[in-house]
Parts: sequence; structure tokens; C-alpha cells
Amino acid sequence: MTTLQSYLILSALLFSIGLAGALTRRNAILVLIGIELMLNAANLNFIAFWRYGPHPEALTGVMFALFSIGVAAAEAAVGLALIIAIYRHYKTANLDKVTTLKG
Amino acid sequence: MNAFSYLDLLNLLGPETILVLTSLAALFVDLGALRDQPLPRRWLAGGGVTALGGLLAILWLTNVTAQANLAHGILVVDPLTQLVKVVLVAMLLFTVALSLRAEFTEHVGEYFCLLLLATVGMMFLVSSEDVLTIFVALELTSLSLYILTAFNKRSLVSAEAGLKYFLFGGVAAAFTLFGLSLIYGLAGSTNLREIATNLAGKGTDPLLMVALIMVVMGFGFKIAAVPFHLWAPDAYQGAPTPAAALIASGSKVASFFVFAKVMALGFAGIEGNGAWRQFAPGWVPVLATLAVASMLLGNLAAIAQSSVKRLLAYSAIAHAGYMLLGLLAMSNPHRRADGMAALVYYITTYGLTTIGAFGVVQIVERTGGDSLENFAGFSRRAPLVAVCLMVFMLSLAGIPPLAGFFGKFYLFTAAAGAEPGNLGLLWLVIFAIAMSAVSLYYYLQVLKRAFVAAPAEAAIAPVVSFMERLTLALLALAVVVLGALPAWLLGPIADAIKAAGF
Amino acid sequence: MQTVFFYVFAALTVLCALMVVANPFSRNPVTSAMFLVLTIVSLAGLFVQLHAFFLAAVQVLVYAGAVMVLFLFVIMLLDLKEEERRKVRKFAVIAGGLAVAIIAVLFCTAIGQTTAGIGVQPILEGGTAALGELLFKHYLLPFEILSVLLLVAMVGVILLSKKDLK
Repeated sequence: MTTLQSYLILSALLFSIGLAGALTRRNAILVLIGIELMLNAANLNFIAFWRYGPHPEALTGVMFALFSIGVAAAEAAVGLALIIAIYRHYKTANLDKVTTLKG
Repeated sequence: MNAFSYLDLLNLLGPETILVLTSLAALFVDLGALRDQPLPRRWLAGGGVTALGGLLAILWLTNVTAQANLAHGILVVDPLTQLVKVVLVAMLLFTVALSLRAEFTEHVGEYFCLLLLATVGMMFLVSSEDVLTIFVALELTSLSLYILTAFNKRSLVSAEAGLKYFLFGGVAAAFTLFGLSLIYGLAGSTNLREIATNLAGKGTDPLLMVALIMVVMGFGFKIAAVPFHLWAPDAYQGAPTPAAALIASGSKVASFFVFAKVMALGFAGIEGNGAWRQFAPGWVPVLATLAVASMLLGNLAAIAQSSVKRLLAYSAIAHAGYMLLGLLAMSNPHRRADGMAALVYYITTYGLTTIGAFGVVQIVERTGGDSLENFAGFSRRAPLVAVCLMVFMLSLAGIPPLAGFFGKFYLFTAAAGAEPGNLGLLWLVIFAIAMSAVSLYYYLQVLKRAFVAAPAEAAIAPVVSFMERLTLALLALAVVVLGALPAWLLGPIADAIKAAGF
Repeated sequence: MQTVFFYVFAALTVLCALMVVANPFSRNPVTSAMFLVLTIVSLAGLFVQLHAFFLAAVQVLVYAGAVMVLFLFVIMLLDLKEEERRKVRKFAVIAGGLAVAIIAVLFCTAIGQTTAGIGVQPILEGGTAALGELLFKHYLLPFEILSVLLLVAMVGVILLSKKDLK
């Protein structure tokens, strides 16, 4: 196994763990944390591919990871604000109890 | 890889710059000057500023000819992108015209600011062929739309719809990013055309298939294709109606356009084969599966709905299924222009129709709610609006001579002709035609309530402002005219595609 | 030495990530958030291994610093209690876990078969100066889009989390 492949397997594991968290936890904040794990896994991919890729001098992978960190920060802020808005109405962040819309 | 000349950049990005400045102006005018004014005046002022900016942007787009491909596709400006941008800004303007009498919020400035910035996100999305820029623009659009969905702070369902939209969207964005990271790794580039060139020799690496499916998942979420559609009914129902109209129209136009570009340019060469009994892995069978599932579930679930907004959501899912046929038509590089033309015509007319439908729903909502019962006897309470509703519903169902019919016609012919020799996608086209026959049932259900059923005892005539009448009449007229004279829109689209060299 | 560090950080990352998602000792969101900080820091360690020094710093500053403080702040502001253990949803958890496990296995086999990165030797380091120059020249446009994105996030967060006085 090459070094790149071990990094890829690590990021695949991290992504799967994050996905499992996002799908099984019912607390909205923990779902958001699961999403953060998934985004981090993608970042690890970018860096590993940049390092072991054919054109590391272009720095594309690093740049992509940098942008994705910025996007993730904004996304987390908006998500947390939405959770606060939900909490105002429902007095909970448990997704099993936030089920007015159906059909 | 040289630096941009800022003046050139401004010339190319004039419309976007105008809209960003307008969004700041809307924010400052409302928060600075009109804080203590009565609410209707603030809506009018905010809407006026926004409309002014939008009109300026359209003027710029139609009069300044620019063509450029900067920094390896980070910014692509050509007649085709300019045309789609005009469509996007027009949809923004219609949405603004429909929100002038809105009562769901006091935060007028923020509302128009977010509408404008969402549109800016869509415009950047349209004019990029670099996956990094596409990802950032996609997130800009999505984040603005999440916030617009949750904009009604007094409403329980608005907040809930916003959160659900956000959580599904967050997972989808993570999938997209992971898929893009794999594609970057395999192709060593973020430019769509370079990706296609670099992937050409790779064949079907299993990791590439994983990456492909993850990217499709991300875009499938944006266009609300089954099985990534779960957010759509909730978001359409819970969001303030004008915001839902923008989600259903502008966002869909931009997402489909960029989805088509990513698939047809970035994954050129790994189409695979979706023809009957000639299956080969690639994006065509994946998208064909999504199309079948969307048409089936969207149309069948729409029949069971009692809320008209939810019905429109499921109808949007079904329409996403039809539009995927346009993408499939692009799998043949020689017929790519046909598929693109049919797709752009379809999403444009579909977007206009949907905004109109949401505009009517907004008027009906004032009499109590958006369930089918509230539509009973609507034609006797507001005849003009009811006629517009009829035009929109029949166009969505695809009845000639309305725009929806010609949209479907071009789309289906393009898909059927994609593989001239073996009629590969014909089974899909036949399925789509059968499904549009099913869809007629629930559109007629709405019209039956509005035109045949007797109004309820306590039914009141809704208040319809002049602006709403004008907007709805314009939209209905556009649907009729574009149906009767499809060449008016198809001609410019075909010219733009040719000039863009797509 | 390199490989030893890789395995240490990789093990730390996976272990902490598991503790974020399925902590057998505590269902408290604060614990999850703290383990996420550890995951992020060990990821930063891996970034250093990959010579992406600037990104490692950003990871610690932005993620472990700003974003996680935001998370903890909201968790504590809302005073979220421990998630209730559910009784009947065991099937869903098993099904979800199984699906994710299948995805993980699929990934790993696909990665095992890929030809990417074979025979390529690392040569360059991610210098901050080069990165900065690239950011303001080649990537100027996405940079500006990101700044609009942050404006949207700011407007939206203030709007959504502010309590209306009326």
C-alpha cells in the first residue's frame, strides 16, 4: 500500500464515521458535528492528493482545503443560528420532536 | 496564470457587482433611513431599490458584449452564460414583485439583501467551469436560500423547514466536496475541461465511479431529484411563499445549468450507456435511474397532497426528472448543443410558470391557507388570477399550445435523438410521456376546485394588489407567447450556444 | 519516524472521531464537541506530516478555535441536556450503521484498486507566500465570492438568532 492510499483510507473512515453520526444522532447539533467531520475528511483528501499528486507546485489542493474551511465556518454559523431559531419555537434541538411538516 | 486586470474583471462582472452593491444599498436604505417608517413603505422602498439594481444588471447583460475565459475557467463569460444570467435576474425581479405585499417579516432590508445575494451566487455558479468556484458559489446560493426559508421568525414551520433544508444540504455539500476531492486527486485539476482530458485514459477506475456518484448526490440534492428530494416538500411548504418561488425557479435554473456543464464537460468520456440491455457504468445510467425515480415518485406523491405548495414541490421533483432527460441528451458530444438548448428552454419556461403558480398560491393563502379546499370557487372570487392559475397549471401539465408543452416536446425529442443509431433512451422518453399523462390528473384537481367547485360559505374575496395582477398577467402572457412562438426564446438560445461554442 | 507519526495521528483521529459520534460513556453534546476538537487537532498533525503547514495552523485557529467555540457556546446557551436514549429506534441505528459500514468497505476497496499516486515522490512544500500570491491573483474571484458568502452568513445569523422585540 502506498502512503497516499493509507491517507485515503483514513479519510474514507473519517467520512463514514461522520456520516454515521449525521444519520443516527437525533440532536441537531450532533448532526452538524457529523457534517463537520465529513468536511474535514474531504480536506484531508485534498491535502493528500496535493502532496502526492502530479502538480504539487500549483497548490490547488491546499487552496481548495482553505476555501472549504472558510465555507465550513460560515455553514456552521448559519446552522447554529437555525438551531437557535428552532429552539425558540420547540424548546428542544431533538429532531425526533421537530416534526410539524409531514406528508 | 497571470494576474487579472481589475478593470477587465469589472467589465466582465458588472452585473454581479451591481447586484452586490444593490444588496448593500437595500440593507442600508432600510436600516438607516426607513427604520421608523410604516412597513408597506419600507417594502416598497426596498423592492424599488432591488428592482432598480436588477434592471440595471439586465441592461448591462444585454448591452455589453463580453466573452472571456479567465484563469483556467474560474470565470467563463460567453453569450450563453449571459443569457442564463438574464433569465436569473428576471426571475429575481418577478420574485421581488410578488413579495411587495408580504407580511411575514419586519426585516425588509435583510430580506432583499439575501434575495439579491442568492441571485449573485446563482450567477457566479452559471459562469464558472472550475469546480472550486462552483463549490463556493453553490454554497453561497445554498446558505442564502436556507436563511430565506427560515425567514418567517413567527412561524414554527418556517424555522423547521429551514433547519431540515440546511441539514440535508449540509450532508449533500459534504458529499459533493468529498467527491470533488477524489476527482481532483484522480484528474489533478479543478478545471472541468482539463478534468475530462486527464480522465480520458483512466477508464473506469472504481474510485472514479465513487467520486461520480458523490458529485451526482450533491447536485441531485440541489435539483431535488429522488432520492435526494426529502427537503423539497418541507422547504416549499414552510418557506415564505416568494422565497419558495425563488428556490423553485432561479435556484433550479442555475443548478441545472451547472449540473449539465459538470456532467457534459467534466465527465465527457465516461458517459457509460443507459440503453436497454446495453448497460455500461458511467453517468448516463446513474442519471437515468434518478430521472425514472423522480418522475415516478414525484408524480405519484403529488396526487396524494392536500397542500398546494407541497403539490408544487412534488411536481417540481417530477419536473426535475424530465429535465434530467435534457442532461442525458447531452451525453452524445455531437448532439450536445440540442440537449443544452432544450434544457435551457425548459428550465426558463418552467421557472416562469412556477413563480406564477406560487404567486397565485400566495394570493389564495390570504383567504386562509394553501390547501385544496381554499381554492374552492376561486374563479368566482378572483377571475383574472384564476385564469392565470389555469395557464400555469396547464403549462406545467404540458398542454399545447403552452410553453410547457413545447418544453417537453424539445426535451423528449433531444433525448430520443441522442443516440441516433439505436434509439437508446427511447424507453426513458416513453416512460416520461406516460408520467406526464399521470401528472395531468393532479393539475386538473387544482383547476377543478378553482373553477367547478362551489365556494365555501365563509369564503372571502382575496385582496390582490395592482403589482400582483400585473406580474401574474405578465407571467401568464409569457407562458402563452413562448408556447405559441417558441422560436422567440429558442432562437436566441441556439445563437448563444453556437457563439459560446458549447 | 514518518510512518510512526502517521499511525499515531491516524489512530488518534479515528478514535476521537468515534468518540464524537458514538461515545459509550456519555451522550452529552459537550463531550462530543470536545472530542471533535481533539479530532481536528490530530488532523492538523497529519497536515503537518503532509507539509501543509499553513493549513495546519488555519485548521487549529479557525476550526479548533473559532468554530468549536461557537459550537460550545450554542450548546451551553441552549443548555442542551443529554440526548435521551431511544428505545424502539434500534433497528434504524443498526440499519444506518450497516449502510455506512458498506460505504466504508466500498471506499476502501475502491481506494485499494486505484492507480492514483503510485510512484509519485513528494517534492514541494506549501509555502505561505506562494499561497498568498495565488489567493489574490489566480483565486481572486472565488476569494471575493467567499467574502460575499461570509456577508450572507453574518446577515443571516444576526437575523435568525436575534430576538424580535415586538
